[in-house]
Amino acid sequence: MSITLDFDAKQLAKSKQLSLHYLPAKIQGDGEANVEKCFNNYTRENPDYGSGILTNSLRGYPLLGQQANVPSGYKGLVLQETEKPLIDTAERQLRLTGQFDEFIYWNYDKVPSNADGYRQALLMTDVAEALMYQPIKQEDLDAEIQRHKESKKENS
Amino acid sequence: MSEEELEVKIEKDEEKHQTEENVNKITSLKSLGPFISARENSKNTIYVSDVPDICKEQPCMLGVDEAGRGPVLGPMVYGISYCPLESKQALIDLGCADSKQLTEEKRDIIFNELNTLDYATECIGWAVEIISPNVISSSMYRRSKCSLNEVSMDSAMGLIQQAIDAGVQIAEVYVDTVGPPEKYQEKLLRRFPNFKITVAKKADSTYPIVSAASICAKVTRDHALKVWKFPEGLVIKDNAFGSGYPGDPVTKRFLVENIDLVFGFPRLVRFSWSTAENALVDKAYEMEFDEPDSEKPKYAGAKLTKFFNKTTKSGEIKREECRFLSQRHLGSVTDF
Repeated sequence: MSITLDFDAKQLAKSKQLSLHYLPAKIQGDGEANVEKCFNNYTRENPDYGSGILTNSLRGYPLLGQQANVPSGYKGLVLQETEKPLIDTAERQLRLTGQFDEFIYWNYDKVPSNADGYRQALLMTDVAEALMYQPIKQEDLDAEIQRHKESKKENS
Repeated sequence: MSEEELEVKIEKDEEKHQTEENVNKITSLKSLGPFISARENSKNTIYVSDVPDICKEQPCMLGVDEAGRGPVLGPMVYGISYCPLESKQALIDLGCADSKQLTEEKRDIIFNELNTLDYATECIGWAVEIISPNVISSSMYRRSKCSLNEVSMDSAMGLIQQAIDAGVQIAEVYVDTVGPPEKYQEKLLRRFPNFKITVAKKADSTYPIVSAASICAKVTRDHALKVWKFPEGLVIKDNAFGSGYPGDPVTKRFLVENIDLVFGFPRLVRFSWSTAENALVDKAYEMEFDEPDSEKPKYAGAKLTKFFNKTTKSGEIKREECRFLSQRHLGSVTDF
């Protein structure tokens, strides 16, 4: 299976900034939503919970939220696929629908904190950085392959 | 311009004048709607009338009642009213009797007279709290659920406190309740040990001061529904959504016709009512929230079998995900 990201730097630069919400619920559906009128309209700042803490609710469930930024050095992208192929091995194509640098992170009746799964998972960026600290050069790779071959020969 | 037209114009100007000037004070039935519609309907609103001087000097009785507990739509309103013990006759003269026996028009008239006639404003004061349906849903859906009874009692006690803070000399408190009176009475006595407190079913029809509170609450709820503006942008002709009771066909139709696939209902609706919950099943996207951590971790010591259960029957070794990653909610994704 291979996945093609069907866009280039030019398109990325032109793509529109999206305003997004990270919701603490699984929504079993896909489609457009009237976010502005049915949700954003009700977002209020509530300093009782701390500075910058926002309140709202979703289907009656109380939400507490906060503005969150995409980790520095990263860019948030929204990719879309017209139709997912039925066969696992088929090639897939993803198109770019927009980008984002910030979004609003919402918890269900809990002030956002470092204990949130989302924030903990962000440690992956550090892990990735540690693993990717030194980019592997082609000559190092060739040398390693060569060494491997030689050691094989010696052993046989 | 003909005379008639002129008259109409003057009336309109007056109305405009009133909505701009008097939105912070309720002085008559007419100013109730503008006061309510000038406030956000996704939050609670409290209104406290001026305290008549005589209520600051003489021992008073205070009545508490609610309106709109059962309906699936709109706010629940708590109301209090108070007057000196010896001014009971004023309540009777106004016609404060069982508010459920009174027609809507009659309640409106009494409410208006309560706020305009001198003999009433000189000795009777009142206050209401409009509890937004948005607040009702979010309270009932909190992780540590807050029942409607708790919401109600907090509102009632809050209003009594407001009256105390405003200088009302309270001696006796009468509360109408639908639930068991004993528990309610106990809770009120703990908070206000110095008052003679009576909690009773149908207090509304027994004590005129409770009837007055009930009228304030009911008239306020009716008006809150009449002037309801939907932040969702919905327009319903004459705000005709029925009584809000699940059995009302108009309410039923309103619920069926105004479902948003993602957000469910407009926030006029109390999502926490089973009528609302059931109406959304199959009609809107299913939504799962990360539920409250209800199951307590059970610890009964390490199980002996734990040393064996990593191997399957075929001898294959199942590897547990690295703890560093699993604790941070990280896992490898191969399918999306």
